[in-house]
Amino acid sequence: MNRYLKLLHMEIHRFRYILAGLMAITAAVQIGVIIRTLVREVAKRKEDILNHQSIDVGSALFPSGKLSFASTMFGIQFWFALPILLSIAVLGLYIFLIWYRDWFGRHTFVYRLLLLPTARRNIYLAKATAILAFILGMLAFQLLLLPVENVIFNLIVPAEMREASYFADVIAANQALPFLLPQNFDQFVFSYGLGFSAVLAVFTAILLERSYRRLGILYAILYLIACAAAVIILPVSNQTYFNPSAYLYPEEFFMIEMVIFALVVASSVWLGFRLLAKKITV
Amino acid sequence: MIEVVNMHKRYRLRNVLNGVSFTAEKGQVTCLIGVNGAGKSTVLKAIMGLTPMSKGTVRIDGRARERETYEKVAFIPDHLTMPSYMKLSEGLRFMADFYQSWNQARAGELMKFFRLDTSERVGNLSKGTAAKYNLVIGLAQDTDYVLMDEPFSGIDLFSRESIAEVFSTDLIDGRGVLLTTHEVGEIEHLLDKAVLLSHGTVAKEFQCEQVRSEEGKSVVDVMREVLWV
Amino acid sequence: MHTNDGGTEVFFNNRDPVYLQVVRHFKEQIATGRMEAGQVIPSRRELAALFKINPNTAQRAYKEMEEQQLIVTEGNSPSRITNQMEILQSIRTELLHDTVAAFIASIRKIEVPIEELLDLVEREFNEARLHESTKISDSGGDRND
Repeated sequence: MNRYLKLLHMEIHRFRYILAGLMAITAAVQIGVIIRTLVREVAKRKEDILNHQSIDVGSALFPSGKLSFASTMFGIQFWFALPILLSIAVLGLYIFLIWYRDWFGRHTFVYRLLLLPTARRNIYLAKATAILAFILGMLAFQLLLLPVENVIFNLIVPAEMREASYFADVIAANQALPFLLPQNFDQFVFSYGLGFSAVLAVFTAILLERSYRRLGILYAILYLIACAAAVIILPVSNQTYFNPSAYLYPEEFFMIEMVIFALVVASSVWLGFRLLAKKITV
Repeated sequence: MIEVVNMHKRYRLRNVLNGVSFTAEKGQVTCLIGVNGAGKSTVLKAIMGLTPMSKGTVRIDGRARERETYEKVAFIPDHLTMPSYMKLSEGLRFMADFYQSWNQARAGELMKFFRLDTSERVGNLSKGTAAKYNLVIGLAQDTDYVLMDEPFSGIDLFSRESIAEVFSTDLIDGRGVLLTTHEVGEIEHLLDKAVLLSHGTVAKEFQCEQVRSEEGKSVVDVMREVLWV
Repeated sequence: MHTNDGGTEVFFNNRDPVYLQVVRHFKEQIATGRMEAGQVIPSRRELAALFKINPNTAQRAYKEMEEQQLIVTEGNSPSRITNQMEILQSIRTELLHDTVAAFIASIRKIEVPIEELLDLVEREFNEARLHESTKISDSGGDRND
């Protein structure tokens, strides 16, 4: 346990600059685009007042003519989502790099990791936990960033031009956020569970490649196909959650899918531990 | 005692090791000798569990490899194993964090002996300095055995000399040392035992002093005899 | 260290057992008077470090010298050269005898008459000594590093 925590600390420590960089980019781009949009909108309204035009003449985005945080978010879809997509891409790439960086380079750290007087599953668990921590960390950062952006909104937009909005509307206003933050908790657990079991399956695929090298690439692809097939076999056979004529009740469908996920996770972890303990090669 | 029994290893459809058996005693310096590509490194890696064997057994003091083995046997590969971004002091800290067998005082002595600067970064070390730091990391563990892969290869004469000096000190004394080399001449008088590896098997295993007194042959002489046929 | 004074670096050949070469080195030191009866000798570890050999080899050399009663070790105190004069004196004889025996063994193949041989030996010996002394006076300063 102790050494697992040390390894986890090390993995997070190694990624700290990239993580901080992603957070900085996200904050800078989102806040920047909010400020730019709002300054422009506010200036336009002030100009309208100066020209004695009525303020209640709304636009498509702001029908009442007043500015709301939710509609602002709706208006800046692309620039708001861009840093999120970038973060997802970087984290996705790092799922591979978190292993491969130990093998590549002049000083191959994997020797040291495998020589540690600890169960090797701790290396696996530390890397998996680190990825999870990075994802949740970015998510938490985005969540904290929203109130900050709201404060900035309030600072720029004068009270008489402002219209109050609900937090849920703010999240719903953007295409990217509902994916990151599903409205109900079940959905949250489901989508993140799905994502994380995919991460574990990829981990096992990487370890297959690292253990058997060229032949391992084939094993890895076969393993990923098998995992994907297991997960999508029910939905593809028209037993979807929403299909009223499906053979299974929605609850049954949900239960069976859960069991399949559990099996994919269990087999990935078991195989990963075993490869790391017996088959891995430096 | 480290026992290697009937070790086989297949790599890319080639039999790299074809039933290698030998022992390395505690308190002795044993040298695994063979030409480049004879599989010396593979033997060390397989002992440490860094690569799987196709067949065979490794026993350390009569026991199979387990977690505690890594507190008892130190492995010094032919290159550094600390990430480039670490400072030397951080590398030592890392070792102290993970190994109970780590001896900080000894690490300090060794750093001084090799005149290494703790604020240097691992990525900036020259080849000779990296080899010395590598040795510090391996030898500062209070282990019964030390495995070294080509500790003298590819580094300058002075680094080589100061590394050879370590073998005459109490840093090595009493431990079992198993090292590999492809050029034995220079270090011949440091060795107790030689194991000649050729074509994936042990061609000869002998005590160096015994061969000198009984046959009047140097290790290089025996090597020539056995490996060049 | 006393064993290394006068700039004499010890080189080992790889064909004779290293421990016997160490013993022989000690004998030469004693025979030439650079080591005296009762003198404390370096510890096993110091010797290993000094000669850059494996401590096991140093240990073996000391064991051999103890068996030949060349050195004595009492309890925990450091080893010393023996005080038994007859042993020390026999070393010189032994070294001489060994060297001459080796010389004769190799010279016999040439079948040279003894008078001619002795003559040649005397001449070569004197020449070598002369050469040695001029060399020392030439470069006396640098030899002590």
